Amino acid sequence: MRARNGLLTRISKSNVPGPNGRPNSHHLNVTRLSQAGQASSLSPVSTLRNKQAERQTDMASVAAASKRPATGGREGDQMVITPLGAGNEVGRSCVHMTFKGRTVLFDCGIHPAYSGMAALPYFDEIDPSTIDVLLVTHFHLDHAASLPYFLEKTTFKGRVFMTHATKAIYKLLLQDYVKVSKVSVDDMLYDEQDILRSLDKIEVIDFHQTMEVNGIRFWCYTAGHVLGAAMFMVDIAGVRILYTGDYSREEDRHLRAAETPQFSPDICIIESTYGIQQHQPRVVREKRFTEVVHSTVAQGGRVLIPAFALGRAQELLLILDEYWSNHPELHKIPIYYASPLAKKCMAVYQTYINSMNDRIKNQYAQSNPFHFKHIESLNSIDNFHDVGPSVVMASPGGLQSGLSRQLFDKWCTDKKNSCVIPGYVVEGTLAKTIINEPREVTLANGLTAPLHMQVHYISFSAHADFPQTSTFLDELRPPNIILVHGEANEMSRLKQRLISQFDGTNAKVVSPKNCQSVEMYFSSEKMAKTIGRLAEQVPEASEPVNGLIVRKGFTYQIMAPEDLRVYTQLSTANIIQRIAVPYSGSFEVIRYRLKQIYESVESAPEECDVPALVVHERVTVRLDSESYVTLQWSSDPISDMVSDSVVAVILNISREGPKVVPVEEAAKTKEETERVAQKVVYALMASLFGDVKVGEEGKFIISVDGVVAHLDGHSGDVECENATLRERIKTAFRRIQGAVRPIPLSAS
Amino acid sequence: MGTSVQVTPLSGAYGESPLCYLLAVDGFRFLLDCGWSDLCDPSQLEPLAKVAPTIDAVLLSHPDMMHLGALPYAMKHLGLSAPVYATEPVFRLGLLTMYDHFLSRWQVSDFDLFTLDDVDSAFQNVVRLKYSQNHLLRDKGEGIVIAPHVAGHLLGGTVWKITKDGEDVIYAVDFNHRKETHLNGTVLTSFVRPAVLITDAYNALNNQGYKRKQDQNFVDALLKVLASGGSVLLPVDTAGRVLELLLILDEYWGQRNLKYPIHFLTNVSTSTIDFVKSFLEWMNDSISKEFEQNRDNPFLLKNVSLIINKEELEKLGDAPKVVLASMASLEVGFSHDIFVEMANDTKNLVLFTEKGQFGTLARMLQVDPPPKAVKVTVSKRIPLVGDELKAYEEEQERIKKEESLKASRIKEEELKASHGLNAKASDPMTIDGSSSRKSSNAGSHFGANVDILIDGFVPPSTSVAPMFPFFENTAEWDDFGEVINPDDYMMKQEEMDYSMMHGSGDGLDGKIDEGSARLLLDSTPSKVVSNEMTVQVRCSLAYMDFEGRSDGRSVKSVIAHVAPLKLVLVHGSAEATEHLKMHCAKNSDLHVYAPQVEETIDVTSDLCAYKVQLSEKLMSNIISKKLGEHEIAWLDAEVGKEDEKLILLPPSSPPPPHKSVLVGDLKLADFKQFLENKGWQVEFAGGALRCGEYITVRKIGDSIQKGGAGSQQLVIEGPLCEDYYKIRELLYSQFYLL
Repeated sequence: MRARNGLLTRISKSNVPGPNGRPNSHHLNVTRLSQAGQASSLSPVSTLRNKQAERQTDMASVAAASKRPATGGREGDQMVITPLGAGNEVGRSCVHMTFKGRTVLFDCGIHPAYSGMAALPYFDEIDPSTIDVLLVTHFHLDHAASLPYFLEKTTFKGRVFMTHATKAIYKLLLQDYVKVSKVSVDDMLYDEQDILRSLDKIEVIDFHQTMEVNGIRFWCYTAGHVLGAAMFMVDIAGVRILYTGDYSREEDRHLRAAETPQFSPDICIIESTYGIQQHQPRVVREKRFTEVVHSTVAQGGRVLIPAFALGRAQELLLILDEYWSNHPELHKIPIYYASPLAKKCMAVYQTYINSMNDRIKNQYAQSNPFHFKHIESLNSIDNFHDVGPSVVMASPGGLQSGLSRQLFDKWCTDKKNSCVIPGYVVEGTLAKTIINEPREVTLANGLTAPLHMQVHYISFSAHADFPQTSTFLDELRPPNIILVHGEANEMSRLKQRLISQFDGTNAKVVSPKNCQSVEMYFSSEKMAKTIGRLAEQVPEASEPVNGLIVRKGFTYQIMAPEDLRVYTQLSTANIIQRIAVPYSGSFEVIRYRLKQIYESVESAPEECDVPALVVHERVTVRLDSESYVTLQWSSDPISDMVSDSVVAVILNISREGPKVVPVEEAAKTKEETERVAQKVVYALMASLFGDVKVGEEGKFIISVDGVVAHLDGHSGDVECENATLRERIKTAFRRIQGAVRPIPLSAS
Repeated sequence: MGTSVQVTPLSGAYGESPLCYLLAVDGFRFLLDCGWSDLCDPSQLEPLAKVAPTIDAVLLSHPDMMHLGALPYAMKHLGLSAPVYATEPVFRLGLLTMYDHFLSRWQVSDFDLFTLDDVDSAFQNVVRLKYSQNHLLRDKGEGIVIAPHVAGHLLGGTVWKITKDGEDVIYAVDFNHRKETHLNGTVLTSFVRPAVLITDAYNALNNQGYKRKQDQNFVDALLKVLASGGSVLLPVDTAGRVLELLLILDEYWGQRNLKYPIHFLTNVSTSTIDFVKSFLEWMNDSISKEFEQNRDNPFLLKNVSLIINKEELEKLGDAPKVVLASMASLEVGFSHDIFVEMANDTKNLVLFTEKGQFGTLARMLQVDPPPKAVKVTVSKRIPLVGDELKAYEEEQERIKKEESLKASRIKEEELKASHGLNAKASDPMTIDGSSSRKSSNAGSHFGANVDILIDGFVPPSTSVAPMFPFFENTAEWDDFGEVINPDDYMMKQEEMDYSMMHGSGDGLDGKIDEGSARLLLDSTPSKVVSNEMTVQVRCSLAYMDFEGRSDGRSVKSVIAHVAPLKLVLVHGSAEATEHLKMHCAKNSDLHVYAPQVEETIDVTSDLCAYKVQLSEKLMSNIISKKLGEHEIAWLDAEVGKEDEKLILLPPSSPPPPHKSVLVGDLKLADFKQFLENKGWQVEFAGGALRCGEYITVRKIGDSIQKGGAGSQQLVIEGPLCEDYYKIRELLYSQFYLL
């Protein structure tokens, strides 16, 4: 809960446009990019939505707003891609994507220029608990450093994947980051314990290995950028999204060039760091580099190479080591790399040879190329004896502080010395300043000193340049291109160039800002495979198909229930119910009563020795003993209902007892029946006429007001003087007979 | 109809011969493994020879001789030219295995079935895949996807999944479901209901104990021998199971701080371990985790010394030691030589960790009771010296001269030909001629070698030197065993000196890699001396199962779990195959096949299927129930046709009522737990679950084993009472009613 509060406060802070680097986004208009329908079955429509507007209106309901309401018929086909960071900026890469109820988050970085909460991507825009998979492309801070925070301090409960090498370096790098970053205790995003805990949650994936989580299939390709860098391809219900992360299409000394995926993605989320710039060829760069180093040390100067500890540093060390091997005259000149972190990570580089290119692999067959022969590591400046020429690679790359700055301060006044800046440098650092070769520089102690040292900027940055990006996209031909990870200017130039390049095709290029969602619609048709006995014959039009439809991930299968076990891991069950109902009467009674109620009551096939009935071919009723009957049936709503009513019938029979049992009457002799009939007739006559006497042979003597009549109880003949009375008795008798013997027993 | 699938074993069926099978999927012919036994007998490959040129792709599953040994030979001599697919470790370790095998052979014979170059070229075109990588085949194999999955057993070991049109054919031999020190268990059990499963019956009759206990017994046995001053020989493979043994030993030695030396001796031991160090991502999760956390690589073996020739070992003298040496079969290689030396001492132990291949020395020694003495051939390659060397050089000189003479003659002919009238037509001819000459040049170089160094020491006609001393070894026996001739040992010492010289001269080369070793071996003129002798087997012999294969019981349960529609059994003794076949046929209604070698069986599935499109209208009316990762619903629909495509529409008339289906799989134990949580008194009584006082629930029929036989049968019984309906309600809640 604390984390949540933290997030909310951060929003209100950050909403104030200002120095903390949040984009001032209040004036964005809702833009709708209308798109022509496509020839393929997929018809995407993109819209840019302004989330900030929502945010402004209702600050309190951020969390609610972030759960995008599931309304509208096309919701299932809507894909929403939102950069939470790295939208029109470099740093804190984080792209959120949701489609068909599945959510993927790509990368989880921090912005190196900010500290504390402000450096995080806009996690409050989303509900972390809904994310299924988080994919991290490589170990750089701007791609992985907010991961411990996200895993440990939010409600995220999905799965995290990165490559083996990335994971190994991630731990070392973040531990170093936590140690180095000088922020107050309150502002610390996470501590070392969080990093260690996060390690347990991170799963590894090898290049090309296909994983499936909750119907999301994904695999990764080599990206070239640094050791272990990957491009992720995600496939949700047949719609493919490629997220390049940082990539380079140029093979260098140890890394493979980024691969071109086998399949064209429907959407390509691509980096645009170098916009429309173009790199020098590698050979030229390397030649310049080695020439500078060689000529400097040959003149007795020192070479300082400020570089970030991991990534390009290893490449430069390989170049230097090889150059030294080929130039025995240089062997007495020492090369140092002054970074404990790089030293620690060397074991990782020495191990994950298989993620590197063939050149390294072939060298490895002889000896490990990362066991340098001419390069030593240097723990601190105290161990460094600065006598005579040397080459030192030291971090940080921006010369802000640390060893590289100390050496720079020491060496900058001597014109024999050189400083080689090997990569992308961030605005505002000393390294950026000296590229323009000012006359004087300010030292770390505040004094100014003349800059006599030679400064060379030779970029070894392994990001794609425009020709690479352009050919890459040209080969892939993704219908939708989303630009991330680039300064706004570079990005918009790249966008214009790409739009003109893909003019006439269906490709759309968008460059959303942070938290601007790109919406697309993919209405893919659902295909099912009918298998098993249902598919023995391909049906003709308007024939019915009845069966089970089983969905796993995004594939549908239709099959007969009997085949469920055969083709899936599911099984069907059959529950046989057997219930004993107390009953002590005759079984015939049950049969009679059941026959009165149900249409179909059959005698059971005489396999059993006890009488049994089958009701509606569902429920079997058996008289198992004197005191109870058993009902047996297999469960099914209708059978259950039938059996319930059978139970009710049986219970009723036992409660009402024998007096309502007509079958018992039938069992009596005719005489008895006759006598009973006599009795009934007598009783009724007596109630009608009062004084009735029973005469012989079933005759009744009825006297009314002194008039006597003789009634023959069998034939109904009446002897009486009074005709009126005679008629009345006759009528009464007829009616009584009608009541007592509804149907004449026979024609007699 | 389904995809047509045929399987033909080319070797390794109803027997323990090497694995090699032909699988045709819709006409695309896969060769599954390409094994050879350590004996390297080309006659074993006859069935393969017949089909080799027609193969479209080769899939390798493990990096050992039994699975890929014949690849170089088949590529060179049998016309096998298909692309080969394997995981990175199988490729790398397989290559090293073949190097080691060649070098071991070459040291003791004029082995010419394949050369190191052949090995290189055979492995050059291996397409390397990652686990779970779906690789789409092109051209002829369009539509077929192959994917390697973790098999256990050996590093990089593969269960191959071949998919076409949604039907899976799974080739899983020598898998191990157990997690080991360096490997993960197989993921085979995650595949459910493949159309065809091809698996082995190798271990169908064996059962294993607990791994931890086994490990303990293993080190105990070693320590006992070491403590009493003996040495232990573990004949191992080059780069397979030995890794597990090394880890167990290294770890134990580290824990106990033991000082007995452990040597890992193969021709390629250093390279093997170097490569293995870089294969962490293929190993056990805990190993990769350990590395991620602490950068500890378990294969930085601290207590094992890696050596690539015997001399280093001999420097140690008779001190107690553990030697892991290739090959496991004791046929050739260091293990063979060391065995000969160690066999005579009762203190020593030869511990086999795998069943010897049929017909090898290891197999002979594994019989019970072990033989008292075995006949072995001790051979050695020694460099030519003195007169022999001179003779060899002269011979070479002569050959060279002849060659140059021939070449000049050819040149002349060429000249003549080019001067001839139809120069153009003859041009290619002459080029062909000269190039073939060149290749035969190389061949004759080798051929000359063979001439001189023929086995059995028939003096070559061209040789002017005296014959190499030949020992007639007629074993003489007295009361104490064979009479030992001290001279034998003298001679041996001498021979060793030679090789020591030879070794020390090129010590550096030997240390680094096979490339230079090859140069060395090829360049020095040398010959082989052989010596047949009878070795007294006085040392103790033991066999412990460290093969890392699932045992019989587990294989059965894995098969039952995977529940393939059709099962093909291969590789296993006739007895084991029959046993497993009977077992599977009895317990399930699946189709079991156990083909003989070169018998083709058709395992095309009888599955019918067609595809339909589901219309939006229909799907919006269907409410499905979620069941694990499945969603399931009853569907009533009507077929419509739209330009040849079938489309399902909502029915136009009300559908007939259907018999309801209960979906779910109930475990009585789970149900018991469930009822207890609801506050019921539940207990098991005579296989039935007694709920409350009167109600019983039980299962009838063992439907779990019955593959497709149908559904689970449950009976709920009781007198008419309230409890009955309550229990029934709860029972229903465990299922989904459709």
